[in-house]
Amino acid sequence: MTTASRRSFLAGLLAAGMAPQASWADTGNPAFLAAGKTTDDRFLLAGLDTAGDILFRHPLPARGHAATAHPSRPEAVAFARRPGTFADVIDCRSGAPLARLTPPVGHHFYGHGTFSEDGSRLFTTENAYDTGDGLIGIWDAADSYRRIGHISSGGIGPHDMRLRRDAAGLVVANGGIQTHPDSGRAKLNLPVMQPNLTYIGADGQITDQLELPQELRLNSIRHLAIRNDGTVGFAMQWQGDLGADLPIIGLHRPGQPARLMAEDDPRLRNLNGYGGSVAFSRDGRHVAVTSPRGGVLQIADCDTGALVQEIRLSDVCGLASDDTGFVITSGQGVVAAIDADRVIPRRQHDLAWDNHLIPLS
Amino acid sequence: MPRCRTHLHTLTGALGIALALSSAPLPAQTSPAELPEQMQTSAPDLHPDQQVEWILSGHILPGFDALAGRSADLAEVAKTHCAPTDARLRSAFGSAFDAWVAVSHLRFGPSETANRAFALAFWPDSRNKIPGTLRRALLADGNTTANWANAEEFAKQSIALRGFYALEQLLYDPELMSLATPRQTCALVQAITADMARTTAAISTDWHASYADELRTPSDRYRTTAEIRQELFKSLTTGLQILGDMRLGRPLGSFDAPRPERAEARRSARSLRHIRLTLAAMEPLAQALAAGDTDLARSVTAAFDKARSRANQLDDPALAGVGDPARRFRLETLQQDVTNIRDLVTSQLGPRLGVTAGFNSLDGD
Repeated sequence: MTTASRRSFLAGLLAAGMAPQASWADTGNPAFLAAGKTTDDRFLLAGLDTAGDILFRHPLPARGHAATAHPSRPEAVAFARRPGTFADVIDCRSGAPLARLTPPVGHHFYGHGTFSEDGSRLFTTENAYDTGDGLIGIWDAADSYRRIGHISSGGIGPHDMRLRRDAAGLVVANGGIQTHPDSGRAKLNLPVMQPNLTYIGADGQITDQLELPQELRLNSIRHLAIRNDGTVGFAMQWQGDLGADLPIIGLHRPGQPARLMAEDDPRLRNLNGYGGSVAFSRDGRHVAVTSPRGGVLQIADCDTGALVQEIRLSDVCGLASDDTGFVITSGQGVVAAIDADRVIPRRQHDLAWDNHLIPLS
Repeated sequence: MPRCRTHLHTLTGALGIALALSSAPLPAQTSPAELPEQMQTSAPDLHPDQQVEWILSGHILPGFDALAGRSADLAEVAKTHCAPTDARLRSAFGSAFDAWVAVSHLRFGPSETANRAFALAFWPDSRNKIPGTLRRALLADGNTTANWANAEEFAKQSIALRGFYALEQLLYDPELMSLATPRQTCALVQAITADMARTTAAISTDWHASYADELRTPSDRYRTTAEIRQELFKSLTTGLQILGDMRLGRPLGSFDAPRPERAEARRSARSLRHIRLTLAAMEPLAQALAAGDTDLARSVTAAFDKARSRANQLDDPALAGVGDPARRFRLETLQQDVTNIRDLVTSQLGPRLGVTAGFNSLDGD
């Protein structure tokens, strides 16, 4: 990265502040964003209110994955599912398209990204697929989403990425799996894969990195949630033999060892080695994970690490929390709240909700 | 009788030396691998309206009743016959284990309450926790042992010390069966079997007391008949997945790295038996779920016929042949038969019941 772009990166993470124009108050209050597929196989990003009703639909050219919201302007970016090459910027008041971002030649998106705290930068996880390098693309959100440059993600296969809350910087889940668009989604490096959690400071340098013990080398660190105190929740996806007893959620603070949730609880098997989304409860006491492959949602106590709840729900994957508790979406079109051990349906849509449910506040 | 020849072959082959050193009698169960007699072995031509009731009264309830009854018998036998090599104990164990395998796909409702199914069946034991846990328990002091007689105390033990798979190693592993004093071993056998009797009784009781009605009539838990059928369909696909990926797939490993030590219940040479029992349990369930579609029911029966006859021809009770190319080939062919059943069920039976492969579960990211 050039000196100029490193300085730009720094600026974005150090909350420069900018004059707000339109705000989220103008939007009719979408509470969540979620990608989905219609019954006639079209793809979209939808804005949902707290009741689960759809406030807007933005058509996507192919399957989406996650999205991220601008901190002040009523804008969201919907990311293509890997190995896609579009990221659509949408006006959340109407769903109107504002811009379509395309990564540089030789890169594709991984489906996740985040804005800097001041909203001046957008960061996207990318694969420079001929070298297999994991990158973070940097875009100028104050200047028509001009591409500024990129930095290393600190590993192969960066997937989810969040802003830290305990310090300036980013935390990136480098899933460790190398892919190349020529071979679709085939995993090219399982014999040597090594996932990690990488912390990147305001200067673009790696400040901390977590690797799990060797026996968990095949547990791809994929999705993230950040608690208010800065604790990172990460969800993993196992690439090894079925039938292994594996941790799927962990918690981490830089400089400390990771804490793996529900270790030795046989119900971990019900996740089928696959964490789809992870979220903290609003009060920070609980962390939840969804597994569409297991058709199950599990909630663990952050302090004790014990599983406190397990709820069966077909093809559940999208997960967020609001003031009432956890909220989920499923591939069968359900938007539901979780109350104690019950699923309280909010809405049933004629859509298949994709991987993630993105809270907007 | 082919089955006898099988045992001799195994004994003189892979296990010959180990068995010459131990005093264990012939390991494998000699009775045919059959469902408990109360369970239906095939579904008649059903009207779709009768489907759920038939699955309840011909499959689920008699299955869990047999499991509870045979586990109670096992605990009773263990009170007076607790030496690992005791023929009556092993016979009662085998009979109860058969009943478990016949319902091991019904992983919803009462079997999931309080981790009951895991307490009965900690398998696969991928980190090999059972042998170490048993060893520690067998060498524990007298105070610990005294606690085992207390049901609540024993239920707090690691699931690696509980259920069929721990008991199997205690009864059949040459080292573990003679590690502790007969008195200590006996106490553990009695504690495990009593615990299993309580757990299986609780499952059976809950099914009769309330859960059967949850399946009969939609309410809070299942809002529609479609959801009830989907739950039953999921138990079918779960059973087939365990059969193909676990019971066959784990020992098969890969051609270059076969894993015979991963064969389910290999110490008692029950691995192939469990495969046969699973097929026998899945077939009537699949037929009942196909109710109302005669052609599909016929295809289901044909697919199971093929897998069953292949499984019946095998003579490798502990799947020790996974490393031998010719014997491995026959197991891989059986695995392919199971894959064919799974494909048929997923592509034709699922859509009939309103179940399609999940958008996220099929192709997650």
